[in-house]
Amino acid sequence: MRRDVGEARIRVPDQIRRGDLILVNAIVSHPMDTGFFRTRDGAPIPAWYIRDVRVLYGGDEVARFEWTSGISRDPVVSFHLVADREAPLVMRWTDTKGSTFEQSVDIRFTAT
Amino acid sequence: MDPRPTLSRRAFVQAAAATAGALAAAPSLHALAPRARAGDDPPPIPNEIVERVMRERFGDRPIRTGHVELDMPLSAEDGRVVPVIVASDLPMTPARHVKTVHLIVDFNPDAHLAAFHLTPAIGRAEITTRIKMKRATWVRAIVETSDGELWADYARVSVTLNGCG
Repeated sequence: MRRDVGEARIRVPDQIRRGDLILVNAIVSHPMDTGFFRTRDGAPIPAWYIRDVRVLYGGDEVARFEWTSGISRDPVVSFHLVADREAPLVMRWTDTKGSTFEQSVDIRFTAT
Repeated sequence: MDPRPTLSRRAFVQAAAATAGALAAAPSLHALAPRARAGDDPPPIPNEIVERVMRERFGDRPIRTGHVELDMPLSAEDGRVVPVIVASDLPMTPARHVKTVHLIVDFNPDAHLAAFHLTPAIGRAEITTRIKMKRATWVRAIVETSDGELWADYARVSVTLNGCG
């Protein structure tokens, strides 16, 4: 099941109340090539991996990850977030070729 | 594989390890790597690369064992996909919080595998991901607080299939 490089999903709980500590799951499709492998024909596969991840909540940077090719193919990461306002949660993954992939999800509170 | 939000942290590591090695039936598949205990000495620095990483990132500040839990499988059947959870019970308040979670894998080509920089908005210092491992080695999870303290946990993980090439 191959997806296009950079295709990403962010998952947050269906029901969120103001102030909840929520779990955020994110996955992005990327080969995360180390540069140490070769193709079947013996040609080296150059290093190509996501090296920088930004997490923005309502425009504020709330986390930043430095990655290397030691993160597995199609990187997953889970972290928490204090959902204290209704705002977009944006993630930007930047790879060693300079491509940036972006995905976002709206943090909305459940009506009570 | 989808992220698994409903599983507990330890169950995630166990389930992911079991999936990676589904054809093998060794009971150790479900076992977690033994962790360091508070007060334990850190594993010895094995080479110049790790020594340089430690010096550049932490200088000569003391690194104490405690306040961090590093959950990994005891045995990683497939070194291309090894589940990792790092969790700390340190506060995440503006006054004092976990600023960075470092992941260091001693015998990987890139020993300093990742750094996760956090802010108080993250609420809880806990990161789940999947990494590659070349061979059996110590893994170091070192957290840095906003006031400069360093706390760590260590796990010794064996690897069947080299995941780094």
